[in-house]
Amino acid sequence: MAIRRVLVALGICGLALGPATRAGAQASSGSKAPVIIALRGATVHTAAGAAIRNGVVIIRDGKIADVGAAITIPADARVIDVSGKEIIPGMIDNHSHIGASPEDLNESAVSFGPQHRMVDALNPDDRGWKPAANAGVTTVVTGTGSGEVSSGEAAVVKTYGADFQKRIIKEVGGLKIAMGRKRPDRPPSTSPAVTAGLRAMFIHAREYMDAQSRWESGGRQGPAPTRDLGMETVARVLRHEDYVRAHVHAASDIMALLKLKDEFGFDLALHHATEAYKVADEIARRHVDVVGMPLFVRIGMKEDIMRSPYTLWKAGVTYAFHTDDPVVQSKWFRYCGAMAIRYGLPDEEALKGLTINAAKIARVADRVGSIERGKDADLVVLDGPWFEPKTRVDLVYVDGAVAYDRAKEER
Amino acid sequence: MSAERGAWRVELLLMAMLSFAGQPLAAQRTGVIAIRGGTVLTIAGPAIRGGTVLIRGGKIAAVGVNVPIPNDATVVDASGKYVMPGLIDAMSYFGIDAQDLAESSEPITPELRIIDAYDPTGQGFASGAGPLRANELLIGGVTAQYVGPGDATIVSGQGAIVKTAGRSLADLVVKEPAGMDLSVGAGPTKTFRAKNRTPNTHPAVMSLLRQSLIKAQEYDRAWQAYRGSDSTRGRTAAPKREPGMDALVKMLHRQMPARVQANTVTDIRGAMRLADEFGFDLIINGGAQAYQMKDELAAKRIPVVLGPISHPFISGEEIPDLKEYPAPDERNAGWLRQAGVSIAIASYSHGLGGLAQPITAKWLLIDAALAEGYGLSEDDILRALTLSPAQILGVADRLGSLEVGKDADVIVLDGPPLKMKTWVERVYVSGELVYDRSNAAAVLAGEQRRVP
Repeated sequence: MAIRRVLVALGICGLALGPATRAGAQASSGSKAPVIIALRGATVHTAAGAAIRNGVVIIRDGKIADVGAAITIPADARVIDVSGKEIIPGMIDNHSHIGASPEDLNESAVSFGPQHRMVDALNPDDRGWKPAANAGVTTVVTGTGSGEVSSGEAAVVKTYGADFQKRIIKEVGGLKIAMGRKRPDRPPSTSPAVTAGLRAMFIHAREYMDAQSRWESGGRQGPAPTRDLGMETVARVLRHEDYVRAHVHAASDIMALLKLKDEFGFDLALHHATEAYKVADEIARRHVDVVGMPLFVRIGMKEDIMRSPYTLWKAGVTYAFHTDDPVVQSKWFRYCGAMAIRYGLPDEEALKGLTINAAKIARVADRVGSIERGKDADLVVLDGPWFEPKTRVDLVYVDGAVAYDRAKEER
Repeated sequence: MSAERGAWRVELLLMAMLSFAGQPLAAQRTGVIAIRGGTVLTIAGPAIRGGTVLIRGGKIAAVGVNVPIPNDATVVDASGKYVMPGLIDAMSYFGIDAQDLAESSEPITPELRIIDAYDPTGQGFASGAGPLRANELLIGGVTAQYVGPGDATIVSGQGAIVKTAGRSLADLVVKEPAGMDLSVGAGPTKTFRAKNRTPNTHPAVMSLLRQSLIKAQEYDRAWQAYRGSDSTRGRTAAPKREPGMDALVKMLHRQMPARVQANTVTDIRGAMRLADEFGFDLIINGGAQAYQMKDELAAKRIPVVLGPISHPFISGEEIPDLKEYPAPDERNAGWLRQAGVSIAIASYSHGLGGLAQPITAKWLLIDAALAEGYGLSEDDILRALTLSPAQILGVADRLGSLEVGKDADVIVLDGPPLKMKTWVERVYVSGELVYDRSNAAAVLAGEQRRVP
């Protein structure tokens, strides 16, 4: 179904004489005149309040200028009629591996590499970006793998945009650690040894911080302590300037991790978190977030795991979904949330798990994750309820630019 | 990512070991059951609103609006619900231990029969006495499946069509052997490349396969000559019996179809060339690129057992490297139907604990429902999960639609089948209620065990 684009400026569609049309032409040729787009007539699910029927979203220079039902559309806006459609915020996949070669995901020669940064592996031409953007996944937290105990820092990146550097929201955000067994040929390989290794890592970082502050408080006498990139990274986590994103499945490993958090006081998000539902209260009590199951129908999961988003939401945990692309392809991301609806999670909470909750966990909610004034104009227009199997994405906007238009790309 | 994959495998195996603790439901095997008042999607004809499905002795006794309900019938009120045939998963590995899918000692092992490795519960066979139920499949409304021996080699063996609930293994089997499973795709080349053995390439795969089929023809001729020879005038010695050759001969005599896993145009064409040359009934498994040859497939009446809509490439690899394949097009199924190709949509599932499988079999319906957004009609989707696989598998006389005389494999859903929020509420297999969501809720909620 094609989206009708209606140019209503001054009501003289074809005649390029009106001031608004000239302004548009100037904008596309690089002038500073604001580009204003109005999406009119859809049901808008903002992820920040109740759904708005027959709503209007105003985009101004790539940002959301206004959203609501009774909004005056500026005369110089390009109006796009999306009557009967549904709009949701651009979705945020909080755990993905797109954008880099698989060979760059695990530095298998070492067990600890907190200083490694996914951003250094990102390829603007990676084949993973486009399918994600087409599906309405406009931001990903893409990170290193789980082969090491600590594999480094994730990056928060948009999936579309001409200037790759501008697409990066956070070059460094979220220190990946991986609980549980590791390869048997190199210590630490068992779960307890992995946990002990992490404890040692945090202790060393504290000592590193102490040495630094002793030197500072001592009037910087003598040689400065030797800088260590890995320890600096962990120190940022211990100062709450960054957080830990932890690959973990078993409830026993989750508890070990929560005890580490109790001991060292870092901010924490559990990823995959297969058995988190078994210790939901322990997680909620500590205000730990979960980026978890289900992975849309590719992993054989029992019913209690399928129900875990509901269980954790009921316990008060902030929950977000993920694809773990390539485990699930980014294009099926929204159905990870849809499956949770089947198990009792309310529609709007499932949508939050695909949008604003993911943004909060990734610490980028000031820019993305909901349709609110001042945020980036990352929007998805669908031809029906976002969670229904037959519903398709019609249009995707990233920073106010059309990243996907089904009518053009699928003939 | 291999280490991550490894960690995953460990955890998911652990998950799989937690038993399902299926709750016994009252046996209603041979009784008379009237499912009344629902929208009946017979698949064989138009939907019947406010219809009744009458089950007697495990078979469908009547379907319609004005079906008299016998006094001794157990009446099930299905008002506001949908009633349709149980789903048939035309390709699954559910119930087969992963290790039993990888017999890769030889590239050609037609003598293997998957029924010898089949665990009807998918939970480990040590489930003791009692009815055999694949609860994980019943949740999704799957009442029958074709299980095959995998795609790791060229000829991997013989598959079976089984129901997902029954009283014994023999009771479950609908047809065995039901097909010869072959792969001319990436499965065998990857397997034997890793072993540094032939075949490494597609031409080697095809030539080995061709050579085996020639051998089967010669074997067949030798036996025919022996049987036809005159015993009174000095009969020649009997040829040596070879079970694998016997099985291939059955395939060449069209007593069972060849199910050839082929996703790319190259592989599909290869399979079609062999079928032309040797004369066997061909079913394309996978068929991710089948739309590119839809007219040829339609003209030759070659059916396609598609992989899942969300994950059409069905390589036996745990996480297939999608970059090796051309980009899939979700419109494949719709285009094939428009051209008149017979299609089934199958899960290629590895069951509980299966890591990054194409899809989990219990979500077959939801996966197939995606196709509606890509040009496959609701009717065609439901048909591709019921009557069409029954026809492709050669069991449409018993399964696939709600018609008088067929097996009473019936599911009751609480809403339109292709909606995300719709659940399968009841499943009948051979007229027996084997799954009831309202009774199963406590079990399905799972154990909320605490970790100290």
